[in-house]
Order: sequence, then C-alpha cells, then structure tokens
Amino acid sequence: MSRRLFILATAVFWCGVLAFWLAGRLAGPLPPAAQPVAQPPAPAAERLLSLAEVAAHGVPEDCWMAIDGQVVDLGAYLPEHPSRPAVINPWCGREASQAYHTKGKGRPHSAEADQLLATFRIGRLAP
Amino acid sequence: MSRRLSIPLIALLLVVAPVFWAWPEGLPPWRSTAIVSGWVGWGMLLASLLLMIREAWLAERLGGLERMYAWHHRLGLLAYLALLVHPLALAVDAWRESPARAWAALSPAQQGWAGWLGWAALLALMAGLAAALARQLPYRRWRWLHQLLSAAVLLGLAHLLWLGLDAPALWAPLLALALIGWRLLRADRGWAARPYRVSGVVPAARGMVEVALQPLGQALALQPGQFVLAAFFDGPGFRGCGEFHPFTVSEIGPAGRFSLGIKALGDCTGHLQGVESGVAVRVQGPFGHFLARADGPQFWLAGGVGITPFMARLRAGPLNQAVRLLHLHRDAGDAAYADELPALAAQQPRLTLATVACGDGQPDLAPLLPPAEQLAGCDCYLCGPPGMVAAAVDILRARRVAPDRLHFESFEFR
Repeated sequence: MSRRLFILATAVFWCGVLAFWLAGRLAGPLPPAAQPVAQPPAPAAERLLSLAEVAAHGVPEDCWMAIDGQVVDLGAYLPEHPSRPAVINPWCGREASQAYHTKGKGRPHSAEADQLLATFRIGRLAP
Repeated sequence: MSRRLSIPLIALLLVVAPVFWAWPEGLPPWRSTAIVSGWVGWGMLLASLLLMIREAWLAERLGGLERMYAWHHRLGLLAYLALLVHPLALAVDAWRESPARAWAALSPAQQGWAGWLGWAALLALMAGLAAALARQLPYRRWRWLHQLLSAAVLLGLAHLLWLGLDAPALWAPLLALALIGWRLLRADRGWAARPYRVSGVVPAARGMVEVALQPLGQALALQPGQFVLAAFFDGPGFRGCGEFHPFTVSEIGPAGRFSLGIKALGDCTGHLQGVESGVAVRVQGPFGHFLARADGPQFWLAGGVGITPFMARLRAGPLNQAVRLLHLHRDAGDAAYADELPALAAQQPRLTLATVACGDGQPDLAPLLPPAEQLAGCDCYLCGPPGMVAAAVDILRARRVAPDRLHFESFEFR
C-alpha cells in the first residue's frame, strides 16, 4: 500500500514537473519582471527621493525601501517574496541596505535577486 | 494521554505549531498552499524523526517500539506527499503571470541557493523513501540508503534557514538536529545500551542458537515476552557485526542473566550462529508487552522460532492460568527447543501442548486452531512468520475473538 502510494505520487509529481517544463518551453523566454504599479512621473534614474518620502510608503501595500542609495517600490512584489511577510514587511519605508545584504543569517541576496530588485527602482536616495 | 492517541496528538502538535506560525495572510491561494504544504511536510518530518528515537521509556509511553516505527513510516510518507505539493503549488501560483514564469519557479537552472537546497532535499527524500520501501534490499545496503532521509532533513533545514527564519521558528531546525543527534548517539552508537558478555551458546534448532548473556554492569529488568536490541562485537575468536538487531528473550535467569533465541535470518544473524563465550554485547531495552496480560485463559500459537517468547514464560515458573499452546514447525530439525518443550509441559499442569510438523509451505490452520467455544474469553497470543500470523488472525476473528484479545508482534523494523 505504502509502496504503491509512493510510486503513484512520485509519478504524478514528475508528470507535473514535465508539464510545466513543456509549457515553459512552448511559452518562450521569460517576460520582463513585473513593473511597479505606480510609474514615477520622471525617469527613475533622475528622481531624487528623501528618506522622509520613503518613510511615507511604509506599509506592505505601499512599500518603498532605500537600498544601496537606490529607492525601490516593492509593493507589487512583496506577495511574491519567498520569506515570511514578518521578515521583510518591517523594512517598508526604511533604509534597508543592511537587511538586504544580511538576509538569512548574514548572507547576501543572489545576483538574480539584485537583477530583480533593479526592475523595481523608482529613483535615487537624496544625500 | 491514552497510548492509542499519543502519537497522533504529538504529530498534530508538531504540524499545527509551524503552520500556525507561518500561516499566510493576504497571499494568492496557490502561494498559500505552497507555504502551508511545506510546513505541514516539515512538521510531519519532525514527528517522524521523534518516532525513530529508540528509548525504552519513550516506547513505553507511546504504545511500543513497533507502533512507533509504524507511525514513523506513515508520517514519513505523508510528509513526502505534502512536500511534493510544495514546489508544484509555487509553479501553479506563478502560472498566473505566465507559463514561462511557472517553469522558472521550478527550474533549478533559474534558482538560487534556496531553490537548489529545496530540490536537493526533495530528491534525497525521494531516493531515501524509495530505498526504505525496497524490502528486497540486503539489510546493510538498505540501512546505508536510509541515511539519505537524514540528509534530506538536513538539506530541508538548510533550505529553511536560507529563506530566512526569525527567532520563534528556530525551534524547528534545532529540534530536528537534536532528534537526529539523539538517534545517532543513543541508538546507533549504543550510548543507551548496557554492556553484557556472552556466557554460553547452545544450538536450539537448525539455523538457530540460544545465547546466554551475563551483565557487566546494571542489568535490564526483563519480563517474559519482551525483546531487546542487541549488538554483538568481538571475542577471542569471533568478530561481530556490531549492528543492533531485535531478539526475543528466551529465558530470564538470576543475577540479571538472560538468554536470546537467535535465528539465522540475514547476514548478521547468520554470522551469529558461530558466536562464542566471551564476546562483548551491548543490549538496549527491554521493549514490548507481549504476554503482559496474566488474567484468564490463554491460547498461544507459535510458528517455528516464534516459540521463543513462550519458552521464556514457561521457564519462568508455574502458569497462573490455563494455557493451550500450539507449536507449528516444518520438521523435527526445525523444531526449536524440541527436547525441552515436552519436559516443561510435563511440569506445567495448566498447560496443554500440541506440536505439529507442517512441512514446507503455509499450514492449513483452520483445523488446527481451537473451535469458537474453546476460544470464548481467551486471550490469543500469536508469534511466528507474518503470513501465518495474518492467516491465524483472520480465522480467530471469524471465530469471534475480539480484536483486543488478539496479541501479536510482527518485528517489522525496516
């Protein structure tokens, strides 16, 4: 009984993985990552934002963070973030460089995460 | 807490606690499913780890070692099913955006360390379970491959830590590490076992010896019908395999001495047929409640080496109740304790002994077992090959023996 259940479940799992692989191949390359819901009025790279402005967006539904001198709008992305909300939500509206580079017991985010983060950039932190 | 509910309640607690802590709020349904299934699987893995702890006091509280191992297997498989849902649910959630994004949620090529560790844990769990369920594997290979399941737990733990656990949830990985360490040191390394030495070896039947053990320290408190886990090491002219195997106690002597019936059933027990006096042994236990009830008439069915626990009881002194013992064996050479059993029966006025040579193959039990009227109010104790016990249970149930009056242990520890 246990053996049959194991074989059946494993077969269904790999069929599922195969189906996602096929669908992914047929769909072509990845679309660009989700864009921030609210586009900044000026080109992102040129917009200067103060920490006070960042602090005005300090809730998960409207979540800006300052990371490495850049300001990112993560409101649309938070539901997709792999960690628990309690890990990332407290950083909304704050300077979060230290947290970004020391997530998960002191380890930095991956290069893929850095690329993804860049897609949410809305401006530079005012000195 | 009743013994029957103890294990399900512990498992429920270990599942509900992390799920309650990680309960998703405001997330899409499939992402929520992925998070909950991951924590449900992790909770069941923790419960399964707890049940591989081999301590006599814990087995006593949880209804016996055999029951613990049955739940260990059951929860391990259920954990696997829940953990299979975890990555697939993440992919279904990403499908909302695009099929390519769904594959990206699964593909190791598009993951970071968290994803790689998660995949490694799942694949180790898959391989470990496949090996655990492959009963035809030789014991040593099976045991080695079983370690993959510990590796799966450690990889899963690394996956969790990489994703970022905050302080209240750190108890989960710490508990997993503690349980694995406990099992490794106390059971596998033998820290929970007591030292004995072989003081005598006599042949009991074809391919079976009876080994007498003498304590070198504090002796175990044993009862007839119980079993121990014993590992045999080296002696003057013998090199033991050092693996812990279950053996039934065949005699309880004075000053902590006792004997084990050892049938050649595999590589290690086959090698033990040549064990000699002076060999060092480590013994853990005792385990089991077989023959624990001593009120009212009893029917004992023994198949082959299954006579061993009944020998321990008959050797322990006069029976307190009427007992009918049916001993089945293949032929005279296979009949363990064939010389001693009739002599013991002659000293037990309340014992009725029947010995039947059945030859090879499954015996026809229906005409051999007592009729329903003789079984009324009887406790039935069955010990022998699983096929014989299963067939006897069916017949005895059909003869209106209540389930709580049927007692048997299958010694299925794989």
